[in-house]
Amino acid sequence: MLLPKFEFYEPASIQEAIELKQKYGPDAKLLAGGTDLLVHLKKKRITADHIISLMRIKDLVQIKMDEACVEIGACVTMAQLSNSQIIQEKFNALKAGADNLGNHLIRNRATIGGNVCNASPAGDTLPALMVYQAQIILQGPTGRRKMPIESFFQGPGKVDMNADELLVGLQLAIPSGNCGAHYIQLGKRKSSEINVVNVASFVQIDPGDQTIITARIALGSVAPTPIRSFYAEDALNNKTASESLFYEAGEIARQKDCKPINDFRGTAEYRKAMIGVLTKRTLAEAFRQAQIR
Amino acid sequence: MKRIISVSINNEIHELAVEPNKTLADLLRYDLGLTGTKKGCDTGDCGACTVILNGDAVNSCLVLAVQTDGATVETIEGLSNGDGLHPIQAAFVEHGAIQCGFCSPGMIMSAKNILDKHQNPSDQEIRQGISGNLCRCTGYQKIFKAISSQCSDTNPGNNYGGLHEKI
Repeated sequence: MLLPKFEFYEPASIQEAIELKQKYGPDAKLLAGGTDLLVHLKKKRITADHIISLMRIKDLVQIKMDEACVEIGACVTMAQLSNSQIIQEKFNALKAGADNLGNHLIRNRATIGGNVCNASPAGDTLPALMVYQAQIILQGPTGRRKMPIESFFQGPGKVDMNADELLVGLQLAIPSGNCGAHYIQLGKRKSSEINVVNVASFVQIDPGDQTIITARIALGSVAPTPIRSFYAEDALNNKTASESLFYEAGEIARQKDCKPINDFRGTAEYRKAMIGVLTKRTLAEAFRQAQIR
Repeated sequence: MKRIISVSINNEIHELAVEPNKTLADLLRYDLGLTGTKKGCDTGDCGACTVILNGDAVNSCLVLAVQTDGATVETIEGLSNGDGLHPIQAAFVEHGAIQCGFCSPGMIMSAKNILDKHQNPSDQEIRQGISGNLCRCTGYQKIFKAISSQCSDTNPGNNYGGLHEKI
């Protein structure tokens, strides 16, 4: 398959990239890992006269941290995330997402910024980013703005970003003690697969009486964007954790929160049933971790 | 407009003028004649075009040639040092891990990348390491056995580490 002709730019700074984006507007597409963009270009699903590669911008390929926060550059690859000590220790649900995206060849190229901007309902890192309450950092000609990741997604492949803006990274607050999180994805096979259903859960507990102080659940592949499971979260807050409570939360997520469709990967009914199971399992594992952290 | 890039391919520096819309797989095959790297799907699904780029196995059909300016690329042609097969290639032959052979170059580059990164990969690390390479002939078991035979604990006399230095 031939790629269409385009002009290619490799800016060395964010500023330079924004200037190029301003100059060429919607005719320019940003290239990170290329595992989606180049496929779309080859299959003529999208066109672009100008391709701006972000992979030479040093600020975008780093994971920075201070005492309270981690900032993941938009061009950090899945392999980099999986191997990062801070991600392994503090954001294991995100690591699980990065570990399961595509296959090892894809993970060496695919970036977190690409996964977020593609806004696939089934995106592997997205439920985890949602339960960790990631903030999206966008930079445009007039400066930076931040927004919660949930308001960034507007539909499959649609995000709240202007044509002259650039996703520079994601900011995640480091969870305090007594917190745990877990992510499970369900596909027809273990690698190179698009999820049938994927779920991430996060809980913070009171170590004394095992009460759940905060619970956050994010569901993937069951709506036009990944969604939070608010009814199920409400059912958990300020309750004493138990297996039956997690089962109940799973049932609420299944019946009230998710709105899946039928497609060739699975029926809506099957997806709903699996939301129930995976919500329960991710909560139980998140709770187990919260007890030991 | 063509761009001039400088890229190390199998330890040889190439200065090349490339069109931006040419993939690394096409550069290797059509400009340099390195047709060991195969093209199957051309969309990153099959792994036939696997090469090692700056130490990581990648689908060369999803990398633009212009992006490899300053990079190091290893392809299947770089494995043998001229005195016969590389130990991984020999292991593939010995274990019957090659049938039609179309996936073999990519599969062997993934295998090399696993063994470059872990001297003694676990069974799971091997299976995950080749999870991006499709093979429709062998059923993978023979490939798995061939790679396992190159781990230093199953093969203590294995000089794999020493040999790949020469490449």
